[in-house]
Amino acid sequence: MKDELAKRIVQGLKDAGINFVTYLPETRLSQIVPLIRDDPLIELVATASEQEAVTIAAGATLGGKQAAVYMENTGIYVSSYGLLTVGKQLGVPILLIVGYLGGVPDQRNSFLYATIGSRTIPVLQGLGIEHRVLEDGDKLEEKIRDAVRAANALRGPFALLFAGEFSL
Amino acid sequence: MIRYECLEFLAAKITDQLVVTSQSGQRIEWSHLSKHEGNLLVGMMGCAIGVGMGLALALPHRKVIVLDSDGSVLLSLFNLATLGNLRPKNLAIYVFDNGVYSGSRISYPTATAGNTDLVAMAQGAGIKNAQTLRNIEEFKHKGVEALARDELAFFVCKVEESLMHREIPRPDTDLAENKYTFVRYLERTEKKTIPFISRG
Repeated sequence: MKDELAKRIVQGLKDAGINFVTYLPETRLSQIVPLIRDDPLIELVATASEQEAVTIAAGATLGGKQAAVYMENTGIYVSSYGLLTVGKQLGVPILLIVGYLGGVPDQRNSFLYATIGSRTIPVLQGLGIEHRVLEDGDKLEEKIRDAVRAANALRGPFALLFAGEFSL
Repeated sequence: MIRYECLEFLAAKITDQLVVTSQSGQRIEWSHLSKHEGNLLVGMMGCAIGVGMGLALALPHRKVIVLDSDGSVLLSLFNLATLGNLRPKNLAIYVFDNGVYSGSRISYPTATAGNTDLVAMAQGAGIKNAQTLRNIEEFKHKGVEALARDELAFFVCKVEESLMHREIPRPDTDLAENKYTFVRYLERTEKKTIPFISRG
């Protein structure tokens, strides 16, 4: 991903009101981590599991933060229990910033990722979590803002799946 | 000691702390003993420490208490490593360790009934104040006194299996109702708007 896109993602998060991010690092969007870490307006929390990242973000949201979780799409599988229970059942908005490995628009797709990618959207649908796939920087900030608004309105998680130019 | 007597003692000490419970007997017993609006009765195992950690980070001036079980902690052991590194000073965790999955109704033993020591694991993960409390006097003194201290506390309270939670009424507040009561209480006491909740 070009550095410019990473900067626009982080600025888009801030413009959308995100001020708390939990994460487990991955490859595709990793440039956003140092940018968030160096930004005094966003609290960044490293976790040991995406399941944990979801529950911490949920607690922060209930405590008044506007929270996001940054993860690889493998984390959707790992955190599906938390997404369903504290996300959907308890009804807590969380923005999911997901590196979408192995999907058709993943520019670095391979046999290592394709099975994971091919089931990501069906799993999100099974969990009842709405999503949007982003493949380029067109209206990026607006799409992030829309996703946060949707999560708040739905009282639950909303996933942005980053592929295409974001996966280069 | 049994869990109910610990919770009964703790409930009398609650003022404006936020209390998060995981799903199992302590959720039922705590809801019976405490009608505090700052109770968040999380209805699932393995999530309470994470939710409590998020609350503690979002509200660093507010004491957050997590009431958890051995089965729940075993389901979310990754929390120990994160706790050991973040060390939120305003978080106190009480793990009621009866050594069984009593909610299963067959009381199958958990790993702590065998060779597993959650306090040793917590200490190894970097939690400095991790202690085992073996009787009600230790709970009353070491355990409850920690609420006044500015330090992450992780207590494994060794309790006998008790079936009290099957005899008292189960909470009739559903998850959404509890969540909104909790958040409105926070809005009132923190004098701020919780962003997601006020957009009609």
